[in-house]
Amino acid sequence: MKYRNTFLMFAPVFLMFFSIAGNAFAYSEAPSLAKKVAAGKLPPVDERLPINPRKLNFKNLGLKIGKYGGSIRMLMARAKDARQMSVYGYSRLVGYHPKTFELEADILESFEVKEGRKFTFELRRGHKWSDGQPLTSEDFRYWWEDVANNKELSPVGPPKIMTINDELPIFEVINRYKFRYTWKRPNPDFLPRLASASPLYIYRPAHYMRQFHEKYTDQDVLKKAVKKYKQRNWAALHNKMDNLYRNDNVDLPVLQPWVSISKPSASRLIFKRNPFFHRVDPEGKQLPYTDSFIFTIANNKLIPAKTGTGEVDLQARYLRFDDYTFLKKGEERSPYSTRLWKTAKGAHLALFPNLNVNNPILRKLIRDVRFRRALSLSVHRHEINQVIYYGLAIGGNNSVLPESPLYRPTYRNKWANFDLQKANQLLDEIGLVQRDSSGIRLMPDGSPLHLIIETAGESTEQTDVLELVRDSWLKIGIKIFSKPSQRNVFRNRIFSGETAMSIWSGIENGLITANSSPAEFVPTSQQSLQWPKWGQYYETNGKAGERPTEEHIIHLLELYQRWKNTAAQKEKSEIWEKILKIHSDQIYSIGLVAAVLQPVVVSRRLKNVPLSAIYNWSPGAHFGIYKPDTFWFAAAGEERK
Amino acid sequence: MTTKHFVNKAPFDPNATEKLTPEQERYYMATQWQLMWWKLKRHRLAMISGAVLALMYFSVIISEFLAPYALTTRNTDFIYAPPQTINFFHDGEFQGPFVYGLKYQLNMTNLKREYQEDKQSIQKIRFFCKSDPYKFWGHVASSTHLFCPSATGTLFLLGTDRLGRDVLSRIIYGTRISLTVGLLGIIFSFIIGITIGGLAGYFGGWVDNLSQRAIEIIRSFPELPLWMALSASLPVTWSPILIYFGITIILGMLDWTGLARAVRSKLLSLREEDFALAAQLMGAKPQRIIVRHLLPSFTSHLIASATLSIPSMILGETALSFLGLGLRPPITSWGVLLTEAQNMNAVELYPWIMTPVIPVIIVVLAFNFFGDGLRDAADPYR
Amino acid sequence: MIPTLVAISVITFVIIQLPPGDYLSTYIAELQSQGENVDIEKIEALRAQYGLDRPMIEQYGLWVLGMLQGDFGFSFEYQLPVSEVVGDRLFLTLVLNFATIIFIWIIAFPIGIYSATHQYSLGDYGLTFIGFIGLATPNFLLALVLLYLANVWFGTSIGGLMDPEYIGQPWSTNKIISVIEHLWVPVVVIGTSGTAGMIRRLRANMLDELQKQYFVTAKAKGLHPLRALLKYPLRASLNPFIADIGNMLPQIVSGSAIVSMVLSLPTTGPMLISALQSQDMYLAGSFLIFLALLTVVGMFLSDIALAYLDPRIRLGGSAEK
Repeated sequence: MKYRNTFLMFAPVFLMFFSIAGNAFAYSEAPSLAKKVAAGKLPPVDERLPINPRKLNFKNLGLKIGKYGGSIRMLMARAKDARQMSVYGYSRLVGYHPKTFELEADILESFEVKEGRKFTFELRRGHKWSDGQPLTSEDFRYWWEDVANNKELSPVGPPKIMTINDELPIFEVINRYKFRYTWKRPNPDFLPRLASASPLYIYRPAHYMRQFHEKYTDQDVLKKAVKKYKQRNWAALHNKMDNLYRNDNVDLPVLQPWVSISKPSASRLIFKRNPFFHRVDPEGKQLPYTDSFIFTIANNKLIPAKTGTGEVDLQARYLRFDDYTFLKKGEERSPYSTRLWKTAKGAHLALFPNLNVNNPILRKLIRDVRFRRALSLSVHRHEINQVIYYGLAIGGNNSVLPESPLYRPTYRNKWANFDLQKANQLLDEIGLVQRDSSGIRLMPDGSPLHLIIETAGESTEQTDVLELVRDSWLKIGIKIFSKPSQRNVFRNRIFSGETAMSIWSGIENGLITANSSPAEFVPTSQQSLQWPKWGQYYETNGKAGERPTEEHIIHLLELYQRWKNTAAQKEKSEIWEKILKIHSDQIYSIGLVAAVLQPVVVSRRLKNVPLSAIYNWSPGAHFGIYKPDTFWFAAAGEERK
Repeated sequence: MTTKHFVNKAPFDPNATEKLTPEQERYYMATQWQLMWWKLKRHRLAMISGAVLALMYFSVIISEFLAPYALTTRNTDFIYAPPQTINFFHDGEFQGPFVYGLKYQLNMTNLKREYQEDKQSIQKIRFFCKSDPYKFWGHVASSTHLFCPSATGTLFLLGTDRLGRDVLSRIIYGTRISLTVGLLGIIFSFIIGITIGGLAGYFGGWVDNLSQRAIEIIRSFPELPLWMALSASLPVTWSPILIYFGITIILGMLDWTGLARAVRSKLLSLREEDFALAAQLMGAKPQRIIVRHLLPSFTSHLIASATLSIPSMILGETALSFLGLGLRPPITSWGVLLTEAQNMNAVELYPWIMTPVIPVIIVVLAFNFFGDGLRDAADPYR
Repeated sequence: MIPTLVAISVITFVIIQLPPGDYLSTYIAELQSQGENVDIEKIEALRAQYGLDRPMIEQYGLWVLGMLQGDFGFSFEYQLPVSEVVGDRLFLTLVLNFATIIFIWIIAFPIGIYSATHQYSLGDYGLTFIGFIGLATPNFLLALVLLYLANVWFGTSIGGLMDPEYIGQPWSTNKIISVIEHLWVPVVVIGTSGTAGMIRRLRANMLDELQKQYFVTAKAKGLHPLRALLKYPLRASLNPFIADIGNMLPQIVSGSAIVSMVLSLPTTGPMLISALQSQDMYLAGSFLIFLALLTVVGMFLSDIALAYLDPRIRLGGSAEK
């Protein structure tokens, strides 16, 4: 212990040395930016990054350190798809971890939730917008007080999710970088919405937006701007210019890894790197690695063909499972590989009997659980899987997927096996014993049991599946007609109760955890195709729609309410189990297949793109959670498979 | 110098010069239609086309009988099977027409369905056989086919599509819809065209001016957006049959202008003819004059015009289906079949899916040549 | 011509309003079905802002007034004034249509003459047959097949009017070469439909002229047949070339819209179709007016050119009573 005293004497020196070294951690930047810094056009990288940038843990994420340079080319079908950059960029206040799907701070340095209702957020000091101006609590205050609660900008008030039990939260700015939202009851959807693919933006670049706000700008100047942009009034102008999601305003500062530099009507949308982006790799290199991201707009039917001839570096959108063979063939001529990612919908396709259909005879029939069970038992899911998905998907109910912690086999399999005998038996039990000359059962009023299944008319896949369903339902004496329509007409007819049954995709997120919102399993929204009027009743607080009287539906609503009000994990899990059990008994929708594979085309030179992953909108943001800012191009010749 | 001349010693019948030889008699007494027919017969290409068209329309009546498979038959074991060739000799022995069996295997690396001919399995084609049951025109049940696969085998002369349905059978069934859409549309445009053209040509003046303007406007409008908008406004609640009629009416509604102009110009010249004047003087109403006297003079032209317009209707139907506005599955028409073939998968991997384009080309060509022939035959100045 | 344009504008407006709903209802349905979050009330509030709740006549009136002042309205889809959205597309549409007309002339001309002078020969049948094949094949399928073949044989990138690198770049020789490489597919596809009709008309006219007395006399008098042909009957039969621009234009414009969609060309066609589908009123209306205008002006010009070229028309008045 001779050295103990020496050590203690020098400890402060060492500490100081290390802390200085820690603060002077060497960050590096892309060569293109370095040139600009040298020319005096940009501040040096240390000043552009926040004091505590988000250091990605590559080991934990399974990523390799990359090199700067290159341009990721992708194809999109419409000008509106510019917003996909906000989805793929996935720069959020909080975001999902790609493997555990837990929420982690991204833009925020930290966040704290108390009792599920008090949210305290802290920003990174020195974090700047893409134009170099600082990001502070003022940007959040501006949104809350001057936008969301401004009568002219938001005539119907702040977004619904900010309201719990008709009450708005209390928003307080604690200091320049810390602020808090407090509700009286828990708001379990708040953080997931912030992390969603199409997120809730609770902030705006106040320094830029003020020029369009009547509170901060001279009336005459504002009037001139309104005229210049051909808007009706300042509110319309402000709402046009402030959309952080759409990427339609080149001057709007953002927090994304790539910033739009193209007019929205161009056929080639170019996004250049954001010099003030807040993430770095483990070696301190400021992300993103690639210099730009390019969306080329093309006719969506040509996108698989163009992908197959090597025009893209990364593509998943507008590629379908049946393009796989074609894409594999294209690998012979172009340097890319086709990967198959799993989709995470509860059902890729499902049939939705409309429990709120107007026709009283059909309604009685559809509300009889034996009828729904019989329909489900007579769908030959195995055949559908083999014929259309090469047997690579999984049949089953429109419910939670096997990878979810809440999964139990009965949720997917109950009433989902192929049993024509039992189905016929159930239908006989209901009383549909009489049949007409072609074997179709007769309804109580003597007319044959014809079901019209309406589709949005957009995909041959749905038509094909219905062909298969039609044949097997003929065997239980039900004849179906498929009627293609147009999307808005299709939805409106369901909402108004004119449609008896429709086909669409199932539960958006099948990887359910205790913290996921059960909203899709409960009549909370008009958009659920199996109970639009009950959902509307809930949405409008009883002003429109129909009040549910069925006992199991009321039970579901009660469970949902309890889930929203509790913050205890265990209780949330239990509530979920009850909800899932009710669904597997009641068969509200007839799930067909799930876990359909999504082809993802990746250039051989593009690295850090997962070989197999989950392709899901929410959570997932398609590529978002895999952090495209960490994708990088290996030099030509260095690519390995 | 005297030239030798001969005098016929037979008695001279003064009426002889008036008599016609049987052929001449036939020719001069022939009606307009007979003349047209004789002229048409000499136009070889038109006759061939006419025969082809007649065959195709005839097949519409017996589609169910002709097609080896019923419309909705699918064979999930033979998805995207390539066309099978008909062979006659196996190992040097004559076996009658047959196909080899198909062996199927799924290539898991690129998820491609691979088929090979199984030379061990000889599947003889049967004729006048019983196979898939069907309902003739939806009513009379039967199951006899002209030719069908062997009892346990397959007969995919043009391959199968993505649900394992025989392409040839679907094309045969599609004929019914595609060929009749054109006819109905033509009838519709005929009626409008003759009415408007007739009124404009006969009355002249402001009626003529107004219709000229209307024709000009409609003709200068690109057809596509008109089609789109009109199709989009067809109520979705209509049954497929109603939509089908709606489509034919839409196609007809935009096509009448050419016909109207032809009718108008002909009437303008014809109304000055003596026979029209005579009818007028005798007190005939304009309608009677137009329909009974003027129109028949150039019905042949009208027919030729109409025949030449049918192809654009058929092509119009395919274009509308392509845009997703016309007929849609589960209705089967050539347009629907072609729309399903409209992707790179079909072009590169499964080219037999595109075979419905062949009957379209044949029919369009046939109508064009036949119409040309009709027009040449109807023209008195050649 | 003016009443025609007025009528066209009315028809255009009616057409766009025909399908049920309007831009906002289509937009809402789309957002909802993509699982994106929709605040329906917020969007409905836009309805008043966009003036979509006003009566039809008022909307029409505003639109026409605006157009006369050079303001073509506002595109809901792009959230920009129409004039900014359209950009290069009008120019490229003109280029495409013009190139197609030239292609039709180049092909139809020699074939028409040959057919007329060698009537009923193998060459006659053969060439007209090829022309007709182009007419009979549905454009969209032909375009797709040619697209594929162009890629396999020549390595041309699929779709578009130029390689992606040149989009939005200033014009250079390489860009022009790239455009030509891509241009031939749509021109051939659209052109072949128009060629057949043109060949037929030219042939018919030539045949008429060839039987006339003056031609027979010229040949009898010893004038070289080719020279006689070119100097006399041909001039008289040029009539359809010019007259038919007017006839061909609507067809070319329409055909090019479909083909442009399949081939993903940056012309007015695809944008028009998507504007019609999403009921982006002003954008669709302006395109339609532009296309109709193109046709009407084209027909007008062809009438003038015809009068200029054909003395019979200038001097003799119309042939009908």
